[in-house]
Amino acid sequence: MKKKKLLIYLLAIGILGNIGISSTIMAKELLVFDRPLNILGYMSQEIGFSLSDKDRFDTEKGLQTTLTNLFVEIDYKISDTFKFYGSTRITGDWIYQIKHNDSSWHEKEFDKSMGNLNIDEKYWQILREFNFTWTPGKFFFRVGKQIVTWGELLGLRVMDQINPLDSRRALGLNDIEFDYTPIPIWLIRSEFHPGINTKWLQDLAFEFVFNPNADDINDLGVPLGNNEAGIWAPNIRIPDPTAPLEEVRVGSAITKVKSPGHFNHKGYEYAFRIKGVVYDTMITLNAFYGLENSPILRFADPTNPFPVVRLLPNGQVILHPWFEGKFPRFRFFGATMSRDIPFLKVPFLGNVAPILRIEGFYAYQNTFTDSLSAPVSLNEFKKFNEFRIALNVDWKIKIPFLNPKAYFFINPQIYYRGVRHTGGPQDWFDTALTRVGRHNLMTTLYIDTVYLNAKLRPSFFWIHDFEFGGDYYLPQLMYDWSDNWRITLGALIFHGKKLPGWENGSFKSNNGFELFKHKDQIFLRITYRWS
Amino acid sequence: MYRFITILMILSFLFLELFIVTDGWAQRYELSMKELEKYKGPIDDPAPFYTNIEGYKRIMPIDAYKKVTYDVDSMKKLWADVVGFRAPDVVGKVAPEIKPGKYTYEDKKKYPFEKLMLKHLYDRFNPPPKSGPRHVGYFTEIEIVPTRQYYHSLPVAEATKKYMGVTKQDSQGYIIQDSYIAGFPFPKPSGPFKAQQIIYNWDKSYNLDTEFYWEHVYGFTKDLRNDYEGMATAYTARLQGRVKWEPLGWFDKRAENQKELKVFQYMSTAPRDLFGNIIQVTSYIDPDRFDLFLMYINSLRRIRRMTASDTQDPAVGQDMIYEDWQGFNQKLTPKRFPYKFEVIGEGEFLVPINWDGATYMSTKEGYILKNIQMERRPLWIVQLTQLDKNYVYSKRVFYIDKEFLYHVHIENYDQKGRLYRTYDTIWGFIPEMGTFNQFHVLALDHVDTHSTAYHSYSYPAVWLTRGDLSMKGMIKMK
Repeated sequence: MKKKKLLIYLLAIGILGNIGISSTIMAKELLVFDRPLNILGYMSQEIGFSLSDKDRFDTEKGLQTTLTNLFVEIDYKISDTFKFYGSTRITGDWIYQIKHNDSSWHEKEFDKSMGNLNIDEKYWQILREFNFTWTPGKFFFRVGKQIVTWGELLGLRVMDQINPLDSRRALGLNDIEFDYTPIPIWLIRSEFHPGINTKWLQDLAFEFVFNPNADDINDLGVPLGNNEAGIWAPNIRIPDPTAPLEEVRVGSAITKVKSPGHFNHKGYEYAFRIKGVVYDTMITLNAFYGLENSPILRFADPTNPFPVVRLLPNGQVILHPWFEGKFPRFRFFGATMSRDIPFLKVPFLGNVAPILRIEGFYAYQNTFTDSLSAPVSLNEFKKFNEFRIALNVDWKIKIPFLNPKAYFFINPQIYYRGVRHTGGPQDWFDTALTRVGRHNLMTTLYIDTVYLNAKLRPSFFWIHDFEFGGDYYLPQLMYDWSDNWRITLGALIFHGKKLPGWENGSFKSNNGFELFKHKDQIFLRITYRWS
Repeated sequence: MYRFITILMILSFLFLELFIVTDGWAQRYELSMKELEKYKGPIDDPAPFYTNIEGYKRIMPIDAYKKVTYDVDSMKKLWADVVGFRAPDVVGKVAPEIKPGKYTYEDKKKYPFEKLMLKHLYDRFNPPPKSGPRHVGYFTEIEIVPTRQYYHSLPVAEATKKYMGVTKQDSQGYIIQDSYIAGFPFPKPSGPFKAQQIIYNWDKSYNLDTEFYWEHVYGFTKDLRNDYEGMATAYTARLQGRVKWEPLGWFDKRAENQKELKVFQYMSTAPRDLFGNIIQVTSYIDPDRFDLFLMYINSLRRIRRMTASDTQDPAVGQDMIYEDWQGFNQKLTPKRFPYKFEVIGEGEFLVPINWDGATYMSTKEGYILKNIQMERRPLWIVQLTQLDKNYVYSKRVFYIDKEFLYHVHIENYDQKGRLYRTYDTIWGFIPEMGTFNQFHVLALDHVDTHSTAYHSYSYPAVWLTRGDLSMKGMIKMK
C-alpha cells in the first residue's frame, strides 16, 4: 500500500514537473504525426475550515480539509473521424498528514478513514476517461472508459443513472455542474443519425449504450462512521436513556454485498435513447435496463443487528451494524424535454425568454429495504414502482441596481419522487439508505451573475428537502484573475430539523441534511488551469 | 449466450455502418490551429499570412480552390456596375496633401490627419500611454496605399444584380422577408429607409458563408496584463439564398422546411474551462422566431438547449456580447429591442485594410499594431438609436464602407450615453475569391478599460454538409 502511494506521489510530482518545464509548450495545441493534440488540465488546492460552534464527535474544529486535485486530459484527433480522449486525476487530502499527531483527530477516529479519503489510489480513480471515438458517416461510436449523461438538471440527478457517482466529500453537492462527481466506467456507446427531417422534426438520433460490466465500479457514497467517512460521516444517533450520554451512535458498518463480478451477463446494462429536435424543442425518450449503482442493504442477522459495540473513552457508545446486500435490478422508461418559452420574456426583466426543462422516468419494481425502519422493521427487501420527475427553469433577468451590465441567472428546480408503497407500518429506505416516503419533494434554487467582464461570479445554491425539512446552502464567490488562475471562496451550510424523535405520532430517525448539520464549512480553493 | 448475443449485436452494428455510410467522405481540408499558425503566429509575427498561404491556395485542394475563385476583372467590372462606382474614382478630395506613403504619429503635426481619420483611429495613432488605465492596439506608423477597388465574388455580384430592386420593405423599413431571394438586397441604398438598407446589406451579407473559421483571442486588463487567451474554430453556413456553390438556393430540405437563414457551430479549444464546448445557433428568416441554440457542454458531456434570447451578457473575458459577434449580430425587428435608423454622415476616411496579412500586434512594444496599411475609403455613418431602455446599449454608430458594404468601425454607447464598447475590424481581402476575413479585430471596453484583440481567418469549406451542422456534427466536432 505504501509503495502504491509513493508511486502516486511520484507520478503527481512528475506531471507537475513536466507542466512547470513545458508550460509554454502546453499553452498551445501540439502536432503529433501532423495531427492536433491538446493537453489540458488544472491543479487545485482547497482548504476547508469548520464553522462548527463547538467541538463535536462528528466534526473537527478548525482546519479539516486540504484537498489537492491534479487533473490532466489529452485530446488527440487521429483523423477526421477517429479520436482519442483520456484524462487522469490525482486527488489527495493532506489533512491526514497534517493531523498525523493531532489528539482530537485520533480520538474521533478520523485518522482511520485515511484509506478512503487520503489519496484516491484505485486505477479507475486515477484513470478517469480513456476512450476512442469513431464517427463514420451517420454513425458515432465511443468505446472505453467514459461518462454518459442524459439529464438536464443542475445539482440534481434524475435521468443520469448510467455512471456511478463519487459523493464522499461534501456529499458531492459542491459540484453543481457535475464536473467531477460522475465516475467514468467502461462503456460502448453508439449513435445513429439518420438525417431525417420533416416540417416538425429538425434533427433525430438513436443512441444505444452497453455496459459490459468490465469492472466493479460503483457509487462512492458517504459511508457510516468517522473511521470510514472521516469528517463527512453522517451523525446518526439512536435515543437510549440507558446509555451513558442517553444516546448511542451508529458507526461504520460491516457489509457483505453480492456483486455480479466482471463481464458477467448479470451485470450487463443496456440504455437506449431517441433524441430529436421537434418544433425547436429538444426531446428525448429514454430507456434503461441495468443495476443500481449502490447496493440495497439489510441486517445480515436481524436478531443481532449490531454485533460490535464499542465504548469510546469519552463515554460514547458506538454500534456497528452488520449488513448484507446486493445490487438490485433497476429499469425505467423516461423522457426529457427542453425549450424556451418566448411568451414569458418580459421587457422590464430584460426580455430574455426562460428555458423550461423537464425530465422524468417511471421505474418498474425498484427494490427498497425496511431494515432501518423504527420501531417496526421486518428486515426485508420489497419492490415498488416509482416515478421521478423534475422541472427546471433557466431564466436570465435584469436587476439594474444590482448589476447594470449583466443579467442574473435564476434557476429554480422542483423534484418529485413518488413511491408506490403498499401498506405496512414500516418506513422504506432506498439504496442510499435515505428514507423515502410515498411523496417526496425537493426544491433547489441557483442564482448567479457576473461582474468585471465576467471575471467575478458570485453565486448561491440552495436545496430544500420537504421530506425531512432540511436545507443545504452553498454561497460562493469565484474570481478569474486570468484564464489560468481562479480563486473560489465559498461555504457549505447544512440545516435540518432536530431529529431523531417522535413526530405526528410516529418515530422519525434522523436523516437527510440533519445528519450533516455539524459539517458547515468555509472553503478557499485556488485553481491553476492550462490549455 | 448473453455474451454471444451482445458481441453479435455490436458486430452487426459495425458492419451495418460500413454499408450504410453515404456521406461525409468528401475531401476535408480542415487544418488545425497549430497548422494554420505555422503561416503566421497570432502575435509578434510580421509574416504576411495571405501571401504565405497564397490566398488559401496552399491549403485548399485544387478542385475546391477553383470552385471558389473567379476572374478578378470580371468581378471588378460587375461589382462597379452593381454599386455604381469604383472607390478609387471617388476619393482623394479630403486633405489631398496626404499622399500614399509612410507616416509616423509625429506627422500628425504636419498633416491634417484629423480630417481624414475617424476620431477613434486618430487617438490611437500615437505611442501607447506608459501609465494609467489604457488599451492595447495603438500604432505609431502607417503606410497609406492608393485606394483599391473592392468587390464581392462573382456569384454574389451576379445575384445582387439579378435581384436588385426585388427586396421590399414595409412601412417601417423592415424587410418583407419573403421578398428577399439572394445577393446584397440594397447595393445602392437610397430613399427614406436608406439607413435600414445599409444595415440590411450587412444582415444579409455573405460574410462567413459556408466557411471554416478560426480565431485566437487575447484579453488585456487596463494595466495591459494578459488575462485571457482563447482559441476557437467554427463552421458557418448560409442556408438561404446560396449562390456560391452547390447546394444553391436552400442548403437542404430542412432549411427550406424550417425557413432557416444561417447556422454557425463554434467550438472553443482554449481556455481550459471552455475546451470542447460547442455552440450551434441556427437562425431563421423570420426575425421574431427565436434561434435554435444548442450547446454541448464538455464538462457535462451533454447537449443542452439554451435560450437564444440571452444575448446581452459579455462573453467570458472578452469585450463583446453575443449580439456584437462579427460586429453586429442582432435581429432587426420592431418587436424586440427596435431601433431608430439614421444616416448621420458620410465621407472619406483613412481605413486600415489588409491584402498581405502582415499586420500584427507587438507585445514587446506596448501591444501596438505594426505593419498597418491604410487607404482612403468612402464611408457612411449610420446611427441606430435603441428605443427600449432595457437594452444594454442606448445607440450603435456604424462606419460602413460604401463599396464593399461591410462595417469598419462600430461604437456602442451605454444607457447613460457613455461610449461603452468599440469594435474595429481590419478586413483581410482575398482578391481571387472576392471574399473578406475579419483578419484583425480590436474590441475595447471604454468604461472598464479592457481590451480584446482577435486574430481570425476563414476560408470556404465546400465539404460542409448538414451532417457537420447538426447534433451529430456537434458531437463529432468535439
